[in-house]
Amino acid sequence: MLRLAWRNVCRNLRRSLITVASMACGLAAIMFGQSMIKSVQRQLIEKATSSITGHLQVQNRSIKEYKFPDKYIDDPAPVEAVLARQAGVRAFGKRINVTGLVSSPAGSVGAMICAVEPEKEKEITTISSYLTQGRYLGTSDHEAVMGDKIAQRLDLRLGEKVVLMAQADDGSMGAEAFRVVGIYHTGSTTFDGQFIYVPLAGGQALLATGRKVNQIVVRLDDIGLAERTRQELMEKLGNRPVQVLRWLDIDHEIVAIQTFQNAILDIVLLIVFAIVALGVLNTLLMSLFERVREFGVLMAIGARPRWVMKLVLAESVILGFVGTLLGLALGCTLITYYGKAGLHLAVGDALSYFLPFPKVIYLRFAWMSHWRALLAVLVVSILAALPPALRACRLNPSEALRHV
Amino acid sequence: MSKAPLISARHISKTYTAKGAAKVTALTSVSLDFAAGEFSAIAGPSGSGKSTLLNIIGTLDAPTSGEVLYEGRKVSGLPPEEAADFRLRALGFIFQAYNLIPVLTAVENAEYPLVLQGVPAAERRARALEVLGWVGMESMADRRPNLLSGGQQQRVAVARSIVHRPMVVLADEPTANLDSKTAASLLDVMESLNKERAVTFVFSSHDPAVLSRARRVLHLHDGKLAPA
Repeated sequence: MLRLAWRNVCRNLRRSLITVASMACGLAAIMFGQSMIKSVQRQLIEKATSSITGHLQVQNRSIKEYKFPDKYIDDPAPVEAVLARQAGVRAFGKRINVTGLVSSPAGSVGAMICAVEPEKEKEITTISSYLTQGRYLGTSDHEAVMGDKIAQRLDLRLGEKVVLMAQADDGSMGAEAFRVVGIYHTGSTTFDGQFIYVPLAGGQALLATGRKVNQIVVRLDDIGLAERTRQELMEKLGNRPVQVLRWLDIDHEIVAIQTFQNAILDIVLLIVFAIVALGVLNTLLMSLFERVREFGVLMAIGARPRWVMKLVLAESVILGFVGTLLGLALGCTLITYYGKAGLHLAVGDALSYFLPFPKVIYLRFAWMSHWRALLAVLVVSILAALPPALRACRLNPSEALRHV
Repeated sequence: MSKAPLISARHISKTYTAKGAAKVTALTSVSLDFAAGEFSAIAGPSGSGKSTLLNIIGTLDAPTSGEVLYEGRKVSGLPPEEAADFRLRALGFIFQAYNLIPVLTAVENAEYPLVLQGVPAAERRARALEVLGWVGMESMADRRPNLLSGGQQQRVAVARSIVHRPMVVLADEPTANLDSKTAASLLDVMESLNKERAVTFVFSSHDPAVLSRARRVLHLHDGKLAPA
């Protein structure tokens, strides 16, 4: 049967090639789309976690707005002790994140004041790698590193002083002077125009918090460990008034972007599947109408109706296999090429408003999604063959033999 | 006790009802028998119902009423799968338009009933080549139908009809598309198969060449069997 099916497929080679090409292009387009979306998402997550969020955060248990923690961990030392022993934790550091005011002789702007442990922060986030002027935070408690947009707006240069103001833990207004030792440029409007980094000790002095912090940020060996590590940490810290949060609990926007992109991808996939299905259906129906008499002959010489149905399905399976193999090859070639050369995407510009996001996306394989698409194309090609196959097996042999 | 005839058609009637058109009666209470080893023909002008009768005898079509028996066993009205199994085991067909599968070579066409029967590849190839030899087509075994003349294609069709050793070969106007010389040559082949290898042939034809060779001719007129 397979020999006959193969020769039937080859009988009208041009038509079969067009069908196979449409399936291959469809699958390659799906793979490319999946890879593009997943690569953007992966880069987005990597940038978000390595710029500010980290993989996990420990915060006060009563905090509801995780991005802007308004309550403190009174005694971070026991939490640090647990983190130091936790498997999978690559680095962790204490932070205080508050909104405040940055003033220079030229004016004042609102800012996100990020008080960090400088050396530990280097292992958690990449902000130190974006410095364009000066140096990163050193040993002094009253140094500051800021984005070039803030520096520009406040007409600040290296070595000059700024005053940071924020509401202290006791409700009073705290104010401290810091010397600008470094200016960075990430390309992100938000980061370059709003974030200012100071040493944790300086931040604690400004806010009169003592040893209290409002975040302990954790970087893991692998982002995939986030949920398991969170659960383990929650068990170990269960009796303390803290909560352990994953990056996706904090960065709701990224999760929303992912959901939105996945929904669009699903719609596009559906359209491509429909095109593939119609292509196969058209080819097999045309082929069926051309061969009605042949099916009559096969039935006359003893082929069972079910056998005829299987023959039509086998032809579709052959088309499906060749189409998906070609599509797989084409998709892999495209993804490999753009994985090396990079793809210039406008989405990079859009996302870089919020995060230090590159304009070029380097495509990577998303095999879990690719396999699903491959299987779906194959299944769709077989399902599309069902109507013509059923029609073929219901033919009356004597009528089929009279077919012209 | 007398042995049941090979084929027995009893009171076969066939009526077609086309959509929106009046009923057309193709056969009216036709009864006939064929014995093993016959070389017989059903004759009649176009539209007399010969092909319809042959299709009903070959289980390709169902009678409106009446029944067809092979060696006393009723085969008309079998479900499609069982009818296909019966044809595969017991019948061979030759058609007016040859009806070879165009993507298969002569030998592949000839062996196809054996493919459907699940005969091992080596055995079926040997048997197909043997019957192609009987019809004088062994040297063209690897040619596809488009490289064969009409007469050669019909010889391959004859080979296909006998390769699985059926009880009877039903040939519907087998010479209608052939010139007289080729038709005579094809009839020689079938006649020798009948005489030397005891293959039973039942033709439907209005070709005098066929009718002159047939040892028994049954005449159909307007769907009714003419008295002998």
